[in-house]
Amino acid sequence: MSSVVVESIGFGIVDASIISIGAMGFSLQFGLTNVFNIAYGTVLTLGAFAAYLAEQWGVVGWYDVLIGAGVGVIATWLIGKGILATFARRNLGLFELITVSLAVELVVQYSVDAADGEQLFSYSFDQGRALRFLGMVFTVTEVEIIGVAVGAFVLLECLLRLTRTGKALRAVAEEPRLARACGIPTSRIVNVAWVLSGALAGVAGVVYIINSLTVSAFTGTDFLPLLLAAAILGRAGSVTGAVVASLAIGIATQLVAAVGGTGYSTIAGFGILVLVLLARPGGVTSGLALKTEVTL
Amino acid sequence: MSFSSLDFYLATVVVIFGVDVLSAWGLNLQYGYAGIPNFSFIVFQAAGAYTAAILTLGPMTATSGQTYVAGTHVPFPVALLAAMAAGAALSAVIGVFAMKRMRADYQAAILLILALILNQFIVTDTSLFNGTSGLANVSRPLGSLVNPSTTGWQWAYAALVWAICAVVLFAVQRLSRSSWGRALRAQRDHDAAAAALGCNVVALKMQVFVIGGAIAGLSGGLLVFYLQAFNTASWGYEETLAIFVSILIGGVANNWGVILGTFLVQIVFVEVPNLLPQFGYIGLVDALEWVVIGLLWMAAIALRPQGVIPERRVRAERFGLPALRRAPPVAAAAAAPGQQGAHEERLGAAGGASRR
Amino acid sequence: MLAPGDLRPLVEVEDLVVSYGAVRAVDGVTISVAPGEVLGIVGPNGAGKSSLLAAVGGQLRPTSGRIRLDGVDVTKLSPHRRARRGVVRTFQDTSEFGRLTVFENLLVAGLGMHGASLYAATVGARAQARRTATAAARAAELLARFELEPMRDTYAMELSGGQRRLVEVMRGLMREPKLMLLDEPTVGVAPHLSEQLRREYRRIAASGVAVLMIEHVLEVVEEVSDRVVVMDNGSVIAEGTYDEVMQSQAVREAYLG
Ligand SMILES: Nc1ncnc2c1ncn2[C@@H]1O[C@H](COP(=O)(O)OP(=O)(O)OP(=O)(O)O)[C@@H](O)[C@H]1O
Ligand SMILES: [Mg+2]
Repeated sequence: MSSVVVESIGFGIVDASIISIGAMGFSLQFGLTNVFNIAYGTVLTLGAFAAYLAEQWGVVGWYDVLIGAGVGVIATWLIGKGILATFARRNLGLFELITVSLAVELVVQYSVDAADGEQLFSYSFDQGRALRFLGMVFTVTEVEIIGVAVGAFVLLECLLRLTRTGKALRAVAEEPRLARACGIPTSRIVNVAWVLSGALAGVAGVVYIINSLTVSAFTGTDFLPLLLAAAILGRAGSVTGAVVASLAIGIATQLVAAVGGTGYSTIAGFGILVLVLLARPGGVTSGLALKTEVTL
Repeated sequence: MSFSSLDFYLATVVVIFGVDVLSAWGLNLQYGYAGIPNFSFIVFQAAGAYTAAILTLGPMTATSGQTYVAGTHVPFPVALLAAMAAGAALSAVIGVFAMKRMRADYQAAILLILALILNQFIVTDTSLFNGTSGLANVSRPLGSLVNPSTTGWQWAYAALVWAICAVVLFAVQRLSRSSWGRALRAQRDHDAAAAALGCNVVALKMQVFVIGGAIAGLSGGLLVFYLQAFNTASWGYEETLAIFVSILIGGVANNWGVILGTFLVQIVFVEVPNLLPQFGYIGLVDALEWVVIGLLWMAAIALRPQGVIPERRVRAERFGLPALRRAPPVAAAAAAPGQQGAHEERLGAAGGASRR
Repeated sequence: MLAPGDLRPLVEVEDLVVSYGAVRAVDGVTISVAPGEVLGIVGPNGAGKSSLLAAVGGQLRPTSGRIRLDGVDVTKLSPHRRARRGVVRTFQDTSEFGRLTVFENLLVAGLGMHGASLYAATVGARAQARRTATAAARAAELLARFELEPMRDTYAMELSGGQRRLVEVMRGLMREPKLMLLDEPTVGVAPHLSEQLRREYRRIAASGVAVLMIEHVLEVVEEVSDRVVVMDNGSVIAEGTYDEVMQSQAVREAYLG
């Protein structure tokens, strides 16, 4: 393999780590609620801004991840339980719900944009020295980012496979009607999913800013299509699927970037999402049965 | 503000209003009547605008100062028709896969992302339409009739735009009230049932998607000849949201209501702030506008997802049935006075809205 | 009256399997309905009755098996093509066009494929007007017959559950069906109208239409069906006249256990 390809795979793995943290959260949230929540992107932005502000106040280093997680949980709770659930109670369809989440995204994003004066803020984080591994180059920080992603994955998998709550979560994601019939407290489980996905979105935002060292009001929105693609390609509700899909997407977009530049790499990321959505049209397509129920 | 600049501004607003109304009718056909969540609508307007521009800019030369493909000189009407054709053709290509049966939110997401992809593509490949800078120096048409650098020309162009609006309104109303329009609304409400009654739902959606795309292309052509320039910033996905909000506020599947909605959203909320003294940094007002659009959107969905002014009820009398002796129970409760005997009435425009 | 079973079956379902992912909702069902015959399908919740009907109507693609209509294999035909061959159906969750009036619901059904044609609506407007007039007359007749005349200009979404079901059945009657698929067609319908509906099904069958009806109310099944199929867990567990199947041991077990 040529060295460009190997290097791109290295960059792709770092990207994939950031994508996967957000994708695991979206996968859980979407798998349980069935609401295509575009406002998830602003949670990433808010997490990244939280890290930026924390740094301004002197809280530096990996502590910012915890702050981002907290902000992510609060923002997701407000969006999910505060806004989307209120709209869902009015018996709106999937289309109306996606548009409401899009409107939330628009409002938050442009509010931030208006408040911060449309700037790109820079964040500082010591990236450490470069390490070589099988022809790929990683900075110490990048290795740590990969570590955060792997840690989040292992923790989540343990939670899902070993605890009662986790097993209930998987049951609701797989067969919501059956789970409800078996007496699983669906709404409590969905609340757990909101919290977990919020925390993951916040962390993803912070890790993003640690890696790219800049943040603007549009950071999360620009990054969102890749998360969505990974979560849906890996099957909504499946954490492992989200991680595997993130790897594929991270590496694929970096390879495109190496060949055609960043413009085409963005296009490739978006294109993957379109293909994924077309390939998984959400149930039995020719039939009556498109999955249209939401749980909030 | 001096009189002549006010005159200039007013003419501009009238032209933009006409172009926005045209787009709203196109999208209303797709979303209001057929239920297609076309979040990439603005892309088809852009297709029309770029097409009209390159067809009149002439071949690219070293002194053009911009890069583009297929530059020629064609007469103004031909360029407008080509703009329509471009919107329709792009719709046909996208419709082939985006009109498949799928979850409504996935369809919305696919179309939204397509808008982002195409915009990014034009930004990245500058050889097509000059990237982010876009195309400029498009010459104003009909210069032999009116001096293009006068406000007289602007008003003449505004009149032309609204004349075209009248024609399009006539066509759109004819189509939407025809049996075809009824089938569109039927599949919007229950696609499986419409198919089970013999309607080819995919073909119906494809047809309305292409017709809407043609109207979008036409609106783009009209816009570019007025502005004389067009770039990627003019067709962000947010622009489609503004059209959607005008439809939701003015009336889903109600072409007259859409004029009102477009006036409120595109003129009162988007254009008038440009008249006010600027405050804050450059771009603050724009950002706040999008915040308002988002809030309006949520309010419209919360109050009435079917639109604030509902669609018109088509009464059986129109098909030669004898008048009912008394009004139907539900309609009686909601009908405003003075509607008896009308062939079509607005359902509960008074009663329904005031209940909220 | 035609004696059912004398004729070649109008619809033949052979070894049909319908699955949702890993769940086999219909698991090897073979049935047939003759013109003029009413076949009742009963069975506990989740037995796969609606899935079977959806496969026959074309709404679901079967995993395997065949469906023949009038001797022609229609297994891969889309729902609108089957509709054009004379299949009509009602849905378990009513399928009214909510923001169309009752009258318009009937018109859409009456015009069928012509209603969805852009050509017929524009260039062929004259022929379309003729078709529309015919459909409007038929709609007026049905509205009177089912006492829905006062509701004709009401949006279908504003109707009661029973009225919606009536509208669905009337939509079917607007067409000239060969095969009528009914999924629980009497749920929520007012008693005297339900009675009228049952007479209507008999009358339709007597005119040579094959009727496949899912029904939970056993009285209705007994009254309307010529033959009954009992399904459980995706399979047919009994078949015969109403009295025959009700005596079957398997049926008692399915309903009790
Ligand atoms: N869209 C779907 N996705 C997954 N499983 C489904 C879907 N629809 C039905 N099923 C399952 O398929 C099986 C058969 O369902 P079906 O609706 O055909 O039964 P039915 O006999 O009509 O029941 P009912 O009397 O409740 O209407 C059930 O186990 C059901 O849970
Ligand atoms: Mg059923």
